[in-house]
Amino acid sequence: MLKLGAHSPTAMAEPSKTKIDRLGDRLRKGPAEKSDLITLDGYRRSFGPAYEQVVQIIRDQLKLNPSGRPAKSTNSLVEKLKRESIRLTQVQDIAGCRVVVRNVPEQDRVVESLSDAFPSVSIVDRREKPSYGYRAVHVIADFAGKMVEVQVRTELQHMWAEISEKYADIYGSEIKYGGGEEKVREFLEMISETVAGYEENELVISKLTKSNRIEEIQEKMDLLKKKIATRLDEEIEFVDRMKGEKE
Amino acid sequence: MIFLIHYNRTAGEIVKLKEFDDSERSIAADARLALELELVGKKDGNEVCLLEARSKEALRLTHRRYFESLRTLTASGSSTVAALDKP
Repeated sequence: MLKLGAHSPTAMAEPSKTKIDRLGDRLRKGPAEKSDLITLDGYRRSFGPAYEQVVQIIRDQLKLNPSGRPAKSTNSLVEKLKRESIRLTQVQDIAGCRVVVRNVPEQDRVVESLSDAFPSVSIVDRREKPSYGYRAVHVIADFAGKMVEVQVRTELQHMWAEISEKYADIYGSEIKYGGGEEKVREFLEMISETVAGYEENELVISKLTKSNRIEEIQEKMDLLKKKIATRLDEEIEFVDRMKGEKE
Repeated sequence: MIFLIHYNRTAGEIVKLKEFDDSERSIAADARLALELELVGKKDGNEVCLLEARSKEALRLTHRRYFESLRTLTASGSSTVAALDKP
């Protein structure tokens, strides 16, 4: 009988980098064997201490309330290995957590605080160059070689990401990476661009609070807001009409 | 709290959700592995994930996809936009 506890990092030595990368190759080819899932589990658990440290710092020092994902799901990991020519040991989001904030100025403040809170970080800003519509800032903290990704999203960026994930469940994950149903991709890209336009103006307003152009910019923002809401309402009608959608 | 979620992507629904205390991280990880091993060879669409949040309500806000249909997600997106405050 399998003794699961025996695979915890305290009970067994961490596999070598070569062994982990070979595991990644096997997972990429698939299908996953039980022995591979057990090795993968041990590798993912080795991120536990770094993950716990990151979450504790975010809670205690930044007074934020993240939701965490101590270890990336096997599905997501295998999909990533298949999609990108990347070794398993190079995957930076094995462990991670998510913080959702109100708007872009707050997002900038949180990213700055995170950069100050951790000894070694790299920042991936997907607001200027979105990944197929996905916009957010990822702060990757490095604890002695163990990377922990902190996703910082605004409410609107998060709304987009959740809808995109749900569409990926229905139409396939290629939707998130430039493939799949064209109509869905166009909808997601259009919403993402409009949200980006809204947030760009939101940032301008926060920087020019004393400007005489505030009203002009606010009008532009109201129009963008209306555009997003109208398109989402149209999409609801589309979803209602869609055949085969499993609610 | 720790949440072990067995989600079916094809159906867009949670098959099973189990809750663990923060002190049961290792037990929760064991349960995840056991579930993954149980699902080996089963048809696609199964996703197993372990998530942590202060409460189930907090988790529902940051990982809505697991809990809501596409329609309700899109509708709530529309409400989110409508409720946006002027900066």
